[in-house]
Amino acid sequence: MTVKIVTDSLSDITEDLARELGLTVVPLYVRFGEDIYRDRVDITTEEFYRRLVTESTLPSTTQPTPNDFLEVYQKLAKETDEILVIVVSSKLSGTYQSATQAKQMVSGKCRIEIIDSLSVAMGQGLIAISSAEAVKKGASLEKAADLARQAVSRSHLIAYFDTLKYLAKGGRIGKASGLLGSMLSVKPILTIKEGEMSPLTRVRSMSAGLDYMYGVIAGYGKVEALAVEHSTTPDDADALVERLGALFPRERIRRSIISPVVGTYAGPKALALTFLEAAR
Amino acid sequence: MSQTKVVAGQDLREMFAAAGSWLEKSSAEIDALNVFPVPDGDTGTNMMLTMRSTMEEAYRAPDHSASGVAHAMAKGALMGARGNSGVILSQIWRGLAEGLEGRESFNATDLADALDKSAVIAYKGVSNPVEGTMLTVMKDAAAAARARVDAGDEDIIAIMEATVNAAGESLANTPNLLKVLRDAGVVDAGGQGLYTIFEGAMRYLRGETELMRLRKPQIIVSETPHVASLTAAAGVEEVPFGYCTEFLLKGEKLDAETIKKRLLKKGESLIVVGDETAVRIHIHTLTPGNVVQFATKLGTMHQVSIRNMDEQHQDYLEMQKDRLPTTDTAVIAVASGDGLADVFGSLGAAAVVPGGQTMNPSTKDILQAVESTFSDKIIILPNNKNIILTAEQVPALTEKKVKVVPTRTIPQGVVALLAFDYEAEFNTNADIMTKALAAVKTIEVTRSVRTTRINGLKIKKKQPIGLLDGDLVAAGETNAEVIHKLLDRLDLEKAEVVTMYYGAEAEAAEAEQISASITKEYPQLQVEVIRGGQPHYSYIISIE
Repeated sequence: MTVKIVTDSLSDITEDLARELGLTVVPLYVRFGEDIYRDRVDITTEEFYRRLVTESTLPSTTQPTPNDFLEVYQKLAKETDEILVIVVSSKLSGTYQSATQAKQMVSGKCRIEIIDSLSVAMGQGLIAISSAEAVKKGASLEKAADLARQAVSRSHLIAYFDTLKYLAKGGRIGKASGLLGSMLSVKPILTIKEGEMSPLTRVRSMSAGLDYMYGVIAGYGKVEALAVEHSTTPDDADALVERLGALFPRERIRRSIISPVVGTYAGPKALALTFLEAAR
Repeated sequence: MSQTKVVAGQDLREMFAAAGSWLEKSSAEIDALNVFPVPDGDTGTNMMLTMRSTMEEAYRAPDHSASGVAHAMAKGALMGARGNSGVILSQIWRGLAEGLEGRESFNATDLADALDKSAVIAYKGVSNPVEGTMLTVMKDAAAAARARVDAGDEDIIAIMEATVNAAGESLANTPNLLKVLRDAGVVDAGGQGLYTIFEGAMRYLRGETELMRLRKPQIIVSETPHVASLTAAAGVEEVPFGYCTEFLLKGEKLDAETIKKRLLKKGESLIVVGDETAVRIHIHTLTPGNVVQFATKLGTMHQVSIRNMDEQHQDYLEMQKDRLPTTDTAVIAVASGDGLADVFGSLGAAAVVPGGQTMNPSTKDILQAVESTFSDKIIILPNNKNIILTAEQVPALTEKKVKVVPTRTIPQGVVALLAFDYEAEFNTNADIMTKALAAVKTIEVTRSVRTTRINGLKIKKKQPIGLLDGDLVAAGETNAEVIHKLLDRLDLEKAEVVTMYYGAEAEAAEAEQISASITKEYPQLQVEVIRGGQPHYSYIISIE
């Protein structure tokens, strides 16, 4: 029986891609005032970012309930008895908790492995995708979980922020708080380190940000998979993909959009470059 | 200008209520400064809670006289004092109450008298007064009020402004008096709390309540070079801190002095304050049981709190760790002008050594900053071509690893600091920062000191002249003209951001006008105007 892969919506794996890979995506929730939406299900990214910049109150977000995971586990348990769950960094969200609690509620012989991706967005998504590919090639739960754990340590994320306002307000700023309070308008570039946001450097403009991101990956050597994402500026992300085309075959570069729940913290005009360093 | 010569009791209450709210806004930041007497990170919270209790009682005052309100504040503070700083604060209010005894309202002289009393009584309450703490800040603040009154000023707002300024200066000087603060690169937390309270009261008197609602109090940065890390300085002491034991003792004919003598050998940081019926006791002791046993013989104990300070210290370290960047390299910049110093500070420079054109710092000045910065790996940004050589003497004089990134101008320094990579190791970072210098052009505008002819330019004395990357290439009738001439010489095709730092002699309004004219001529550029406050150069402009 094939192992089924579950991830959450912060992986930025689109519905189409999920279908193609046979992945199940559990959505988190984003809330504007009284209105609650399932991430990417009840609200599109376009609609979300439009409201993020126009509405006076900032949205808030909620992890999936244990029951959300339980329903998915039970449904999948009818088709398989091995489930691999890859969730957003437990330092950024309580999703890991929900997934774990749900696991304890599952009766029957279905085995469930939960992996803390220690990342977010496609940094998490690329791990889920590589797991799905391994499973397609017939990997067992043990093997797939093992590969996923290795992928966690090979996954990197570099994010360009137009502002840290959203990250700070949402309480997810982590070690990047030192970048707050600049008297100049600067664009912070952060990474994720041990599951938490951590500073890399600062630039003064988007194009300098693109230069920096390109420079990092160019200096990395072998890269197995990579992805570029935007919140509200697709052209800038496309420009980065265009430049990366000089280094990598275009089909290896995945393109996605930062999900509403992550966008709540990333804000408008954010870009993310994520990649899986090649296994040694 | 109208003067405030008399303040009524009601206003006394309102001004400290406003001060209390002002303090609450920065209590978390003050917690983070807390390294003395024990780095347990609760000074801000303690002072805030003490102020709450102070003001609750103030609103219960039997009358609205200044005396009545001040006595109520003193009582409220004593009853609700928390921690070392809270107890000292309660003594400050007691001094205020004694100073305002019998007054319906108060004038400048009364205020100065009362602040004097506050200082005296605050010192008396502490068994072992240490300079460089809120006691010093209180003393210096009181002295400033006194001096102002002696000079004949009757305006209470002016007196309070002098008090706040002196408190701020005194606070900034605390690291020079207390080594543990110097090591940690912070000012005294209790002193910061007291300064914030005075500042809040002053702002209230000035009628700035709206502004207070929108803004936050400023945390004073230590004058000695500020360092990035607090953990190591706070963590060197391996001695256990024991238990922070505090309670209110109620009884009859209590004598604070006798109690103090009896408890003196039982621990550290002893404070015993109060009157015959209620005494507040605060002590750091390894044997809280003995203290409690002693106290129960004298009266009844209330609000008993015994906290394990090693645990608190651990929490504090965790708190600090969360705030720290992941790097171990510190950057020291040379700059003159408070605005420029703030710019470098806000971008993460661990220290800013004052200096620049016509006022080059000595090697010793820079070395001192290097030695007092916590990190062992330091990158220096000289930010002036005449200081590079001075800075380059430093690596040979210290055991620390020091590199100089040869920044010749302020814009180069800023670009280098921005390029700092939090994940890169020391040498790589110095390389990255040096490489970044190529990406910036610097314009400096100053005035000619004499009539001369240079680079084909006829220059009159005092005429605005412009330097491009250090070369004098333009002169004009106005600053704006010079700046535009220089911009015209540049290839701005690839430029994106223009940052204008206007100097101490330049006007903000003119800077804004020039900024608007640049935007008009080069709409693709993003122009930012910042007060640099630098001497000598009316404008320093960075083009990236």
